[in-house]
Amino acid sequence: MLAYFIEAARVLLANRTRSILTIIGLVVGVATIVSVQVAAQGMAGAVSGIFKGTNANTFFVFPKSTQGNVVRAALKLSDLALVQERVPGVVSVIPFSRRQTVVDAGHQRVRLRFGGESDKRFSTSPLAAGRTLNADDIATAAAVCVISDNAYTRLFPGASSPQDVVGSSIYVGSKRYVIAGVLGKTKIDTAALGFDVSNDVAIPYTTFYNTYQRGSSFFGISVLAAQGADLKSLETQTQALLTQVHGAQYQYFDFGFFAKTINGFFSIVGLIVGAVGAISLVVAGIGIMNIMLVSVTERTREIGVRKAIGARSSQVLLQFFIESLLLSAFGCLTGMLIGVGLGVIVNKGFIAKISGVTGGIPWLEVIAIAVGFATLVTLVFGTYPAYRAAKLDPIEALRYE
Amino acid sequence: MNRADNVIDVQGVTKTYASGALQVEALRGLTFTIARGEYVAIMGPSGSGKSTLMNVLGCLDRATTGTYKLDGIDVSQLDDNQLAEIRLKKLGFVFQGFNLLARTDALRNVALPLFYAGMPGKERERLALERLTEVGIGDRARHKPTELSGGEQQRVAIARALVNDPAVLLADEPTGNLDSKTSGEILALFDGLSSGGRTVIVVTHDEGVASRARRILRMLDGVIISDTPT
Ligand SMILES: Nc1ncnc2c1ncn2[C@@H]1O[C@H](COP(=O)(O)OP(=O)(O)O)[C@@H](O)[C@H]1O
Ligand SMILES: [Mg+2]
Repeated sequence: MLAYFIEAARVLLANRTRSILTIIGLVVGVATIVSVQVAAQGMAGAVSGIFKGTNANTFFVFPKSTQGNVVRAALKLSDLALVQERVPGVVSVIPFSRRQTVVDAGHQRVRLRFGGESDKRFSTSPLAAGRTLNADDIATAAAVCVISDNAYTRLFPGASSPQDVVGSSIYVGSKRYVIAGVLGKTKIDTAALGFDVSNDVAIPYTTFYNTYQRGSSFFGISVLAAQGADLKSLETQTQALLTQVHGAQYQYFDFGFFAKTINGFFSIVGLIVGAVGAISLVVAGIGIMNIMLVSVTERTREIGVRKAIGARSSQVLLQFFIESLLLSAFGCLTGMLIGVGLGVIVNKGFIAKISGVTGGIPWLEVIAIAVGFATLVTLVFGTYPAYRAAKLDPIEALRYE
Repeated sequence: MNRADNVIDVQGVTKTYASGALQVEALRGLTFTIARGEYVAIMGPSGSGKSTLMNVLGCLDRATTGTYKLDGIDVSQLDDNQLAEIRLKKLGFVFQGFNLLARTDALRNVALPLFYAGMPGKERERLALERLTEVGIGDRARHKPTELSGGEQQRVAIARALVNDPAVLLADEPTGNLDSKTSGEILALFDGLSSGGRTVIVVTHDEGVASRARRILRMLDGVIISDTPT
């Protein structure tokens, strides 16, 4: 059997140019499908990475923008306590507060994400130095802050360790905040994905409210649910409660919703590219069949000679079949490697830049795709030419010019 | 002559081609034997049935009626796979147009029958080189057919025909594509094979070629009209 593979490889190598032209379609088709597969895996990795870096138990509720009475729908400070008291399983409710603002520290002046948080941690970033906000900070609306790793490196480029900056001050406009703690590195830059869940500079939400939100309603609320709580149930309960109190419409979303949206988008892209790839594979398969048929015709005399010297029909069949198999296997393998390469480039250069997470290569799927298509193309498009070669009459074939 | 010594035993063989409603009787009842080691030429005008006879003798085709025993085996009733096996083990073909595989060097061309016989690669090449050396072109083993002269190509073809040590060597106009000098060399090779004990059957138009054989079968309209020693 191995001898047949060697013999077939020799024939294909002897016709190198034709062999390569034959498989180009296959290479492109498989490369397309595989690269999307790899990129989708990268995206999935990024999404699950986001879950790791943030507290997935968070959801957001805000008024629907389509309703008539915006004033009635506006959320107030009293709603925070209301939700926390009336919806069991809610750990903390804070106003949704987030703004890009200029922060000064010594000679450094940097634009950062600035917002209010509670003593219950919405972010899962590790603490590098100092402490997180505590109940006292919230209760007294203290002028303290916890800064992110990003804020630390940009505001204090000269500092040798986060510990050094704990206790020093930063300024937002004329307001001074004492740094209570510094958070460690998060791998995920969620802001780039369009929904920043972490603040660079977090102050007690009470301080934030008093200083920046008093007198005006706030955009929405962030709710932290207890570990293991049924998020869906809490979301609908909160929504219903607010509707009942305000007589207005509210909507909510969470990270699962984002993940679903992103995954949904990618599965649609995958479907489209998959369909295009499948069509190109059929075309490629027909190409291989065509070339193999041409090859059978061109080599009619050769087939006659082989049969005359004692090759059985089954041996001729096997030989041509294996030639098709090698062509499609080589095409699919090349396509697979190119596809993985492209997928990795997309992952590293694009998805990882946004998400901070590089997804792994789904080798199992990728190899399954390549092997599957090679088998399919060979079976569907390699059999007929091989059959044609095998059933040639040696006498006729020898006479063929 | 004892029948057991007959490597070819043809009894009442006919071959009828049905081309549409028309029946063409290409062979019309041939009976002859060829003893082991004989050197026989088959002659006759175009259309007399030489090629048809060669195809039957070469087990590429079956007789319509009659029996044909090759090396003691009745091949008249064998199926295609069995005939392939007979061609592989018992027969060697030399064609007018050489019929070497292009883009395949001499050594591999010669080794091809051994490939179908399932012999391992090293052994194949060793035997093939041996045969090439026997026909005088061992030094051309790695040349492709396009890099060889007509005479050299025919030597490769002869080496290939002999590589399985066949009971019968069948040659169809083996010198038809060669100039007279090269033809002489190829015929000398056949002479040598014959005197070495090989059974050789040559189809030819050429009286000069036929005269090298020990016996000439002359055909006309599907029958043998004369069977004479030279
Ligand atoms: N495949 C075929 N189908 C029909 N008739 C054939 C076929 N092959 C040969 N013949 C006929 O059989 C006769 C003998 O042909 P052939 O054996 O080729 O003669 P030769 O080789 O002596 O020229 C011719 O009349 C030829 O036309
Ligand atoms: Mg003829």
